[in-house]
Amino acid sequence: MRTIYLSIVSCMLVFGLSACSSKSVAKPEEAVQTQKSDGAEDELASFADEMEVQEIYDPLKGYNRAMTRFNDGAYEYVFKPVATGYKNVLHFEVRNSIENFFENLYFPVRFANTLLQGKFSYAAEEAGRFVCNTTVGVLGFFDPAKSYFELEAHEEDFGQTLGFYGVGGGPHIVLPLLGPSNLRDTLSLYPDSFLSLLDYEERSYWTLTDTPAEYIGVKVLEKTNTISLHMDKYDKMKEDAVDLYPFLRDMYEQRRKKQIEE
Amino acid sequence: MQYIYKMVLVLGMVLFCAQSVAANEQVELKEHFLKKIDEVILIVEDKKMTKDERNGTIVKSLTPMFDFELMAKLSLGSKWRELSDAEGKKFVALYVERMKQSYSSKIDAYKDEKVEIKKIEQTKEDRITLVSDLVSQTQKLEIAYKFHKPKVPVASKDKWLIYDVEILGVSILKTDMAQFKEFLQTKSMAELMDALAKQS
Repeated sequence: MRTIYLSIVSCMLVFGLSACSSKSVAKPEEAVQTQKSDGAEDELASFADEMEVQEIYDPLKGYNRAMTRFNDGAYEYVFKPVATGYKNVLHFEVRNSIENFFENLYFPVRFANTLLQGKFSYAAEEAGRFVCNTTVGVLGFFDPAKSYFELEAHEEDFGQTLGFYGVGGGPHIVLPLLGPSNLRDTLSLYPDSFLSLLDYEERSYWTLTDTPAEYIGVKVLEKTNTISLHMDKYDKMKEDAVDLYPFLRDMYEQRRKKQIEE
Repeated sequence: MQYIYKMVLVLGMVLFCAQSVAANEQVELKEHFLKKIDEVILIVEDKKMTKDERNGTIVKSLTPMFDFELMAKLSLGSKWRELSDAEGKKFVALYVERMKQSYSSKIDAYKDEKVEIKKIEQTKEDRITLVSDLVSQTQKLEIAYKFHKPKVPVASKDKWLIYDVEILGVSILKTDMAQFKEFLQTKSMAELMDALAKQS
């Protein structure tokens, strides 16, 4: 994990610096205030405070745009065709079980982060889910915790924990293959990886993989499986994009803000 | 003593009524919304219609509930004021068409999902948010519908109108605002309109 992580970060730095030097950051222009004789003007004004768009700090715009284009190409020409084939071979129930299995393996990450944020009832719920799904749910392939006991999973990660304590997102960064992120959430991948049961590094407890090659293989399976389940929704959503990069960037930052508030 | 008792009773009645007017409005909106959803589900399940007919009927039945025109104006932010009347009209028409298109393409993805109202929030006198869950077999999707009540009711529209939809905290309107703003930093309004026309 450490080597992959370091290579991603260094890759980003190189890209980012080269993008920075060539592109200057665009400043928001001053709005030209020409009064338009419109009766609905008052009404629009009443939405002004609600609709204030938070300017996302984006000094790496050049790199981010390029990486979004790369990721989109990888999705359209590699991941999507592979996931479509995979989807045709495996029944929905099977793919859903595989997703449950991976979700169950990320339990320590979610558990630790709920505790770090003092959300003890969520932590208890997570612990209950893990015990129930690992045993009755056959190693997490099934989700009886949700269907019988109404125990819900809570997506928590270290990025959200930092956000919870007031750490801002920092510059927006699009990660290779992983998609939109920001500095806070990217750095948080590392502490979270310590708790991931997928990791290949030597641990005192059981992990799914032993070598980097195995790790990458498992990650590819996880990604393919996820895409096969959510492909339709993603494609429909993408149709609404006039410009894909700011579209995805804003969706990511709004989503994270909401997750941190919860 | 009896006088005081009466006073308290009257005062209580007044307070109770004032509160129940606001509560009634919320309940009324919720009922209306759920009725619309039921209507839409009936149309979706009607196998006699072709896909285009079906989507057309749904959009038609939902249009009175949405304030697409307001969304179009808000999506441009301060740039809206710079448009001429003709440009403004053209932009609104394109935006509305794109919204309808986008909505009907989402209907195609609908599969036996249920809508549950989780919360009703009234932040201001003329703003209500309905927080709902779209519950499918495997997951829950939180969708918040934001309503406003225009001071002057719009003809052929409902009393309360949706001006924004938030899916898992992501606002459709804010995302459009951000996209358009970024687009207009390097490109012209005409190019934006071309791009919108291509989508619908």
